[in-house]
Formats: sequence, C-alpha cells, structure tokens
Amino acid sequence: MASPVQPMDLSWWQLAIAASLILISGAVSLALKLRMEKRLALASLRTIVQLGLVGYVLKWVFELDTLLALGPVFLLMIATATGAAIRRPERRYGGAARRAFFSLALTGLVITVTATRLIIGVDPWYAPSYFIPLLGMVLGNGMNGISLCLDHLLESFTLRRDVVEMELALGATSWESARGPVSSAVRRGMIPIINSMMVVGIVSLPGMMTGQILAGADPLRAVKYQIVIMFMIAAGTAMGSMLIAVLSYRALYNSRHQLVSDRIRSGKG
Amino acid sequence: MPGGSADGGERLLELSGLSAGTDGRVLITGLDLCVREGEFVALLGPSGCGKTTLLRAVSGLIDPLEGAVRLRGEEAPGDHWPSFRRRVVLIQQTPVLLDRTVEENLRRPFDYDSAGEAGFPGDRAVSLLEVFGVDESRMSQNARSLSVGQQQRVCLVRALILQPEVLLLDEPTSALDPESVRSVEEVFVREARQRGMSALLVTHDRAQAERVCDRSVELQPYLTEEARIG
Repeated sequence: MASPVQPMDLSWWQLAIAASLILISGAVSLALKLRMEKRLALASLRTIVQLGLVGYVLKWVFELDTLLALGPVFLLMIATATGAAIRRPERRYGGAARRAFFSLALTGLVITVTATRLIIGVDPWYAPSYFIPLLGMVLGNGMNGISLCLDHLLESFTLRRDVVEMELALGATSWESARGPVSSAVRRGMIPIINSMMVVGIVSLPGMMTGQILAGADPLRAVKYQIVIMFMIAAGTAMGSMLIAVLSYRALYNSRHQLVSDRIRSGKG
Repeated sequence: MPGGSADGGERLLELSGLSAGTDGRVLITGLDLCVREGEFVALLGPSGCGKTTLLRAVSGLIDPLEGAVRLRGEEAPGDHWPSFRRRVVLIQQTPVLLDRTVEENLRRPFDYDSAGEAGFPGDRAVSLLEVFGVDESRMSQNARSLSVGQQQRVCLVRALILQPEVLLLDEPTSALDPESVRSVEEVFVREARQRGMSALLVTHDRAQAERVCDRSVELQPYLTEEARIG
C-alpha cells in the first residue's frame, strides 16, 4: 500500500500556472466581450492580497499563541462577517448590525470553543492555529445563514404584514404572531447547509477535506475532521439563524404587541 | 332595519378625543364616540378619510396619536393587549387567512394564550359555516383555495366563534358579490345580535349602514359629526 503523500510546498511557479487559468478566462471574456475581465482581475488581485496578508498575520498570531493576540483577530473576523451578513438582505432595520454581530460572536465562540476544548482537545483551547480556522468555517457559513434568515424574516414582516396583524387582531401575542415568519426564516437560513450535508462526499469534496488530503493526510482521518466541521457548521448556522431571528422579531414589536413595520427600511444603502 | 335599540345599554366601547393617522398623516382628530352594549354603529366616510386607520387604532394595532379607547370604562391595558383584542375583534376588509385548512384557520385563535380555557367550538363553527353557505366538507380544504367570497365568510365565522364583545368591521362585505351581500350581512347581524355582540362598522355604503346599524357617524378628515339614522 502506498504511503500517504507528504505535505508539499507550492513554488511560485506552480502558483503562476494556477494564475494562468485566470488569464485564460480573462482572454475568453475579452474575446466574447463578456466584460468580466476587469472584475475577474480585481477579484484575483484581492484574493492574492487578502490571502497573502492573512497568511502573514496568521503566521504571526500562531507564533504568539496567546489569548491577547487572538482577541483582535476574533473581533475583526466577527465584524467582517457581520458586514457581509447585513449587506445582502433587501431590507434592514436600525440595530440589525448590532444584533447580527452579537449572534455571530456568540455562535462563533460557543461552537468553536466546544470544538477546540471538548472535541479536538486542544491545549490551550484558544490555540490560534486551531481556533482561527475553525472559527472561520463557522462564521463563513453562519453569516450566510444569518443573511438569508434576516432577508426572509424582513420580507415576511413586510409582504405578509396582513397575516401577522390578522393574528394580532384575533388575540395573538407578538411571539404567537411572529412564530410562523420566524420559523420559516430559520428554515431558509438552514437550507444551504442542509443541502450541503445531503450531498457531501457525493457531489463534491469539502474544501477543508480536500486541502487535508492534498497536504498528505490520511483520507479517513480527513473524513473524521470533516464530519466534525460539518456538524459545527450546521449547529453554528442553526444557532446564528435562530438568534438573529428571535432578536430581530423582538426589535420589530413593541410592548403593546404591535408590529412596528415602519422600523423596516427598504434598500441596501 | 336596525335590529334592536341599544339606547338604554351600558357604555361598552368609548373613544374619547381619539386622533389617528398613518404614514405621518393625521386622518382623524378628536373623535368622541360611544358604542353601547348590543348597539351597532356605522362609521360613514369616503375612501381615504381614515376609517380603516381608526379601526386599527381602536384595536390597538397602531397607537392613537391622541385620546383614549375604553372598554367598559377601562383603558386598554398595558401588556394585556392580546386579551383586549380578543374582546374587540377586528375583521379586515380583505379576507386574511393562513395557508392552512379552513378548520386550522378557525381553530388557530383558540391556541393563543389569550384563549385561556376556551376550547375550539368545532360544532358551532361547522353549523355557522353552513348558515353562511359554506359546506362542512370545506373544513379540510386549504382556506386560500376558496373563492374570495367564501374566504370572507370564513373570516366572519372565525370572528363570531370567538364571542367578542365588540366587532370592528372594516367593510366586511366588500369581497362579496352584490347578490350575496344582503344575505351574508343579514345572517351575520342576526348571529352577532343573538350573541349580544356590539359592532362598529366602517363603510362608505350608506344603504348598508341603514340596513345594519342602529345609528351612524359621519367621518370626515379633521371633522366628525354624529348623526342618527332614521
């Protein structure tokens, strides 16, 4: 039986070959006048710069290996994920960003600490070389879940306000009238991760697992890690979606069990 | 036809100096109105004069700009709005039903906390539906698949089985075809009066107000005048 492939370093030449694939795509765009070349070039440049910077920052943080070094990185990651989660929905309300930040921070912390401390048994639990990549995976999916969930919830409260108010008019409390929109928004936020879990390993190999295998890990070991990751992501997305849905519903009703729908603003501006 | 005089009835629903508006516009100012026990009162006014907004303010779906709403002398309660709204039920102009069966729609308000011990009166719901011309077999059908007219009848039955003290009716027959209006309103008023309910009906249909209500109030923007029909 062949021994597992050893982790290999990529040379700049090898990276240049990968970049040539993008150049070919750009050339096709030019030839067919798709007008995608500028966006593609910008996206590629950002990928290089962002990942390059992250590589250096991570190297520095991993070497420091302290909670103090982890703090700012944690906050930066949460803030960036919050920005992305809030930008996408068609509608928003005052305070949505604060609530999304809180949802992502709590979700990220609970899920990642559970993984590092209880599942993987890293010592210390905040060891940045484990904590940051795991947190990144939870946040990457959590922010999508929050974004979809918030979009759906605000859409329900705007387009189906008559149904919510009908329930209120018949004696429902705020929660009783919001339960339908909240549950369907949480379900909406969960759809991508549920779909991924349904086809994982069949349609595609997850990036983390592929990366591990390419870096020389035993596939079975990579699979175990991937299962942990998938469960973390699913739990994180569920928790984040539920938190943002409940916090948002509470922000959109007042103590007189009225839906204050004019708190919802249209537009992404 | 006013079905019964309520001159001597107790003061049930009182609006004092009520002002209401929507989207930053004041539509009703300083309205004083009293609905007595068993009384049916019509609020008449042209489209856009604030009738719907007024009913929303009375049921507490929006805050009045000024003034107070009292039920049996008590102001609408701090955090007991669900119980208040159950006693003063609003029926919207266009039928609003959940995307579920007719039975689930009728049962739903009995699942709310404000229902207390009250259980779903299934037999009464079925017999009322039949009185309104909706066959029992419809109970298991998705409510939104019914015709708009039938949906409105389901909404009326849903309100009646809640046994509220006051019905706030926002043009409740506007979704019905002209031939059905008379029969539905007759059945509805009879059933409501038999159960001792009062009603505040908003409509622009003066003839309907005369047929259904004991008296009417003319609503005009910034001006209301009370006038007795007949």
